[in-house]
Amino acid sequence: MEEAVYDVFARKQRSEPLRHIGYVDATDDALARVYAWKTYDEENWFEMCVVRRSHIIPVNRIDGPYAARATGRLGRHAVEGR
Amino acid sequence: MNARDFSPEVREALQRLILSLADTKRLLGIRYSDWLLGAPSIESGIATASMSQDEWGHARLLYAMLKDFGVDPVEVEHSRPPAEYCSASCLDEPFADWAAVVAGIVVVDGTLSLALEGFASGTYDAARRRIPKMLAEEAFHRDFGQAWMRRISEGSEEGRQLLAAAVESMLSDVVTCLLPGDDEAELLAGAGVTGQPGDARARLARRLAEPLAALGMVPAADLPLPGDWVASRRRPTGEPAADAVERARGDRNRALFVE
Repeated sequence: MEEAVYDVFARKQRSEPLRHIGYVDATDDALARVYAWKTYDEENWFEMCVVRRSHIIPVNRIDGPYAARATGRLGRHAVEGR
Repeated sequence: MNARDFSPEVREALQRLILSLADTKRLLGIRYSDWLLGAPSIESGIATASMSQDEWGHARLLYAMLKDFGVDPVEVEHSRPPAEYCSASCLDEPFADWAAVVAGIVVVDGTLSLALEGFASGTYDAARRRIPKMLAEEAFHRDFGQAWMRRISEGSEEGRQLLAAAVESMLSDVVTCLLPGDDEAELLAGAGVTGQPGDARARLARRLAEPLAALGMVPAADLPLPGDWVASRRRPTGEPAADAVERARGDRNRALFVE
């Protein structure tokens, strides 16, 4: 079963915008939710969401970190700390 | 209601219920912690580490309820020998493989949550206050366990067999220990502390029906108490492995305790 990259977005308060906080690898959406919540549980988040990276639609460039190589571990980029 | 509002018989049974839930959570945390490294992926190892800490946090909150009964929770947490533990006996030894970890999450943790749900909706104030937060955290354990159970069930025959064997080895034990159908359970239900044990078992069977169906299994509805049942410990004879209890008590850090 192949894993996909899911990007994790969260905010601490309703008034804040969602912020990209990292990513997880998971075989399906259910595991991605759990992995995100358990990996990034250092804050008392008001809201957290995950988005499968392959579902992100590039707008102005196709070589950005969220558009290129959207599936599998090769899609990882060093811009986010874990 | 507070502990003092119940009859002496109900108080005694309630104290045993709390200890059984707390000890099972503490041992489950130990068994999860054995898999912080060696899980199938980094993410699943991190999730297991987090669940391990959740279980210990929940155990701590449950032990703290014993203060209402004049019992020192520090003594209970750090001084008892293995023979006094009231944890479900399927946690006496470590999980043999990842399939057993998954079975533990779905079956043992799932049954614990169901027992806690009944306790939280009963008449004992401390349970009504403290357990809902535990159950919110447990929702992620359930999702994690069921997703992994689906993944293994849809995988190799060997994986399915390992998982089915692990479920089989835990299910009747944990249901008997955490949802016993004995006189004491009837006493607690009669006092409104918990729901009726038969109802809880039926709810568990409904909850486990789908994940177990993928393994060709059906949860048993009627489970008699085993012949070696020890009512005072709400479990059969036997005890958790000594090394697990040493870790649970924190023997090696005894000089460093900060309470």
